[in-house]
Amino acid sequence: MTVKTLLLAGGTLLVSASAASASGFQVNLGGQKNIGMGGVGVGLSLDQAAMFYNPGALAMVRENGVQLGVNGAIARVSFRSADGGDQRMLDNKLVVPFNFYAGFGPKDAKYKFGVAVYTPYGSTLKYADGWEGRYVLTEITLQSLYVQPTFSYAITPQLSVGAGLMILAYGNVNLQKDVPFPTQDPQQPIGPGHITLDGKAKTQFGYNAGVFFKPSDKMSVGVSYRSQIDAKVENGDVTYSGLPAGASAALVNRSFTATKFSATLPLPAVANIGVGIMPTDKLTIGLDASLTFWSTYRTLDFGFSGNNGNGGTDGLVGGNNFSSSKRYYQDALAFRLGGQYKVDDKLTVRLGTSYDFSAVKDGYVGPETPDANRVQGSAGLSYQVTEHLGVDASFLFEAFMKRTQTQQDLLDNGTSDRVAGTYRTNIYVPGIGLHYKF
Amino acid sequence: MKLFIMRTAPVLGLLGLGLAGCQPDIEAPSVSAGSANFSSYISVGNSLTAGYADGGLYREGQLSSYPSILAGQFAQVGGGAFVQPLFAEAQSNGSGYLKLTGFTPAGSPTTAAVTTNLAVRGGTAAAPLYTKFTDPVNNLGVPGIRMSDILTPGYGSTAGNPYFERLTPDATPFQTYLQRVQATVAALKPTFFTEWLGNNDVLGYATAGGASSTLTPTATFTTNTNQVLDALVADGAKGVVATIPDVTGIPFFTTVGPSLKATLLAANVPGLVIMTGSAPGGPGTPNRKQIATADIRDAAGGRQLFTLTSAAFLGLLNQPTDLPWRYIYSLSGQPAAGYPLFLSAYGIDPTKPFGADPANPIPSAFVLDDVEQGLTVSATNAFNAALISAANARGLAVFDANVFFRSVSTNGIQTNGVNNTAGYLSGNLFGLDGVHPTPRGYAVIANEMLKVINAKYGSSFTGVNPNNYRGVIFPL
Repeated sequence: MTVKTLLLAGGTLLVSASAASASGFQVNLGGQKNIGMGGVGVGLSLDQAAMFYNPGALAMVRENGVQLGVNGAIARVSFRSADGGDQRMLDNKLVVPFNFYAGFGPKDAKYKFGVAVYTPYGSTLKYADGWEGRYVLTEITLQSLYVQPTFSYAITPQLSVGAGLMILAYGNVNLQKDVPFPTQDPQQPIGPGHITLDGKAKTQFGYNAGVFFKPSDKMSVGVSYRSQIDAKVENGDVTYSGLPAGASAALVNRSFTATKFSATLPLPAVANIGVGIMPTDKLTIGLDASLTFWSTYRTLDFGFSGNNGNGGTDGLVGGNNFSSSKRYYQDALAFRLGGQYKVDDKLTVRLGTSYDFSAVKDGYVGPETPDANRVQGSAGLSYQVTEHLGVDASFLFEAFMKRTQTQQDLLDNGTSDRVAGTYRTNIYVPGIGLHYKF
Repeated sequence: MKLFIMRTAPVLGLLGLGLAGCQPDIEAPSVSAGSANFSSYISVGNSLTAGYADGGLYREGQLSSYPSILAGQFAQVGGGAFVQPLFAEAQSNGSGYLKLTGFTPAGSPTTAAVTTNLAVRGGTAAAPLYTKFTDPVNNLGVPGIRMSDILTPGYGSTAGNPYFERLTPDATPFQTYLQRVQATVAALKPTFFTEWLGNNDVLGYATAGGASSTLTPTATFTTNTNQVLDALVADGAKGVVATIPDVTGIPFFTTVGPSLKATLLAANVPGLVIMTGSAPGGPGTPNRKQIATADIRDAAGGRQLFTLTSAAFLGLLNQPTDLPWRYIYSLSGQPAAGYPLFLSAYGIDPTKPFGADPANPIPSAFVLDDVEQGLTVSATNAFNAALISAANARGLAVFDANVFFRSVSTNGIQTNGVNNTAGYLSGNLFGLDGVHPTPRGYAVIANEMLKVINAKYGSSFTGVNPNNYRGVIFPL
């Protein structure tokens, strides 16, 4: 088995994340230490996770090391329809995003290189059976795994640059919804109709580059940029269940012939700037600002093809061979503040907070990404077990602002292909990691 | 180290999972009645108000009538019981109705009448009488009633409207509909009402293709409107008055034309001969009319509309047949012996090709042509003007069903991600008779009325989820 296959196998189980920690379906769970500090890192050179936050800082990380972190993201989404009805809750799904960094460089050399594996975009949501929006979405699983070989070079002892080649090594989307077939005779029920779209994205490439400037021991500043990658699904599968088999089968099923779908989802670029302040050698404070260029995501388009024999015309889902849904996301800012305090040689404690603006405009909120402005608080600690081996633990709590849209909002925006109501989400992300320095 | 991990990891895990038990709560919205009082509600109207569907009145349809949906929402602010003249469970099929049984290989629907568990107590096959319901009712919807009928004594007798007859107490068989409304207001003292009369004043004329029944004169309509609204607001009740939708948008008229036009164009048939209006006379009189195939209405244009009832006979075009005429005559309820006189009164020669020769034209009852449509539309507009002005004079809310249905016929309406249109069968909104809504259609109407009530009286009702109400039942 190749490394890539192993990664993919592991990735299938581990990489999806419940839209944790940043706007839209972005996941900002880069490094286990950074998570405990509110997600700052662009202006710091704490450890190998700098390859994610600011590749330019890698050359300034004193030691070589390998680190692995894993989080358990537990999302709690509530929804109340504008039509009254009970509060709907997601089925509980635990997803386990992980991160892995390994950085090396000869002692006293000006350069370092390494490889990073992380999951910057993902979403896993499964709504309660029969909820009001069942014909829009019942569940979605979006996963992405990036592998990033990285190189960083210290031009002067104070200024270093770095870049990594981002490889979208694994991308998967699984979208499901109920299909509103004509009403069935209550005497002979056949169960709800259901459609599943499942596809893998092509491998794509991007870059992650950064500059890091550390004029003194007390202060550092960094900028970094991760480029956009389009996740293109070209040959995804379309499957149906609950298609009628009786007298109306020929009439109804001929609108459901598609077997394949294609779609493109942009995983947008992110620009970051960060400042690190070290007033004493025990205390480190970081302050970051990020801008995610979500405005590149205008519509979600599906093209359908193939024929499963149900009818004469190829590639139909609900009578159409093409579907387009408005998104028109907006660029989203995030501000993060965090710090760590070295209590003694073994124990370091962390605290942080951040505020992320939403990628989704009013009147455009859909069940696959019930985004809203969010406040986050985090805490963490590291315990150096031996000189080489340490444990990093973190806990992140995100509270989304309650978000309401009315039927009139949907009509005004031409987005009545989704539901009117109020969403509210909390996310809990405990995490733990191990690092080994050498 | 192991000890440390063993200690901290579970703590963190438990902390995470413990807190993760907390679901963010969204408070249920509080519902207020605004400036209106919904404690006692009555509904006045015709088949649309009674929950008539699929060509009949039956229990399931009654249970999803829009007044019962409204009463369900009013209950949230102290609304009381809402009694409807429901058919009993053992007679739940009421007057009988149409059921979709399947599709022909060509894709046309086949329907059959439901004839079991009916609520027929007597009368004749042509004029059945239904099981009586003489308890006081809140839902005074009577299928078939026109605004012009509300003052007619004997409308509730065994010679009148059987749906009103089953509600009329035996002691007062000549009670008019208006008197029934007045008696109900005195007994139940309603604080809120909905009124939706007038559709049949237009619909009867239109669904007969202009061939029978006459349009109510506007003066009569206006007088009767004022009388019924005065009865309803007598004790200070508030309410909603609904306008009359444009009947030419319903699938009863829009379903047959497009496929007929396509068939005729493919066969290069330039036009058809139809009968228009209801006046007797033979070929050469003004009751014959030529229409061009291109003038049949479909998505591309055209004006002439064909009724759903014509579908069974349009396959006989160009053949020497009198089947269409036998059908038309049977609708009149006249004795069989009168059939030859009927044919000669209209100058029909069944040996001539049907639809191609003025001696065997397409019956007026199968076509709502442009002239008849003009009369329908101008009557509808006049009636609606009277309704709106009467409502405004009494400070009542207005549900403009005319504007709403026009937008639904043009654009459809999406309900929580499901597309619904005014198309026959798969549009979800209209039932098998092409005229009356399905439960989902009635739910959509109820939601629109709630919006109008919220706007007028400052209440804060939510709607219902229309997807919880079915469209046409297909034998899947």
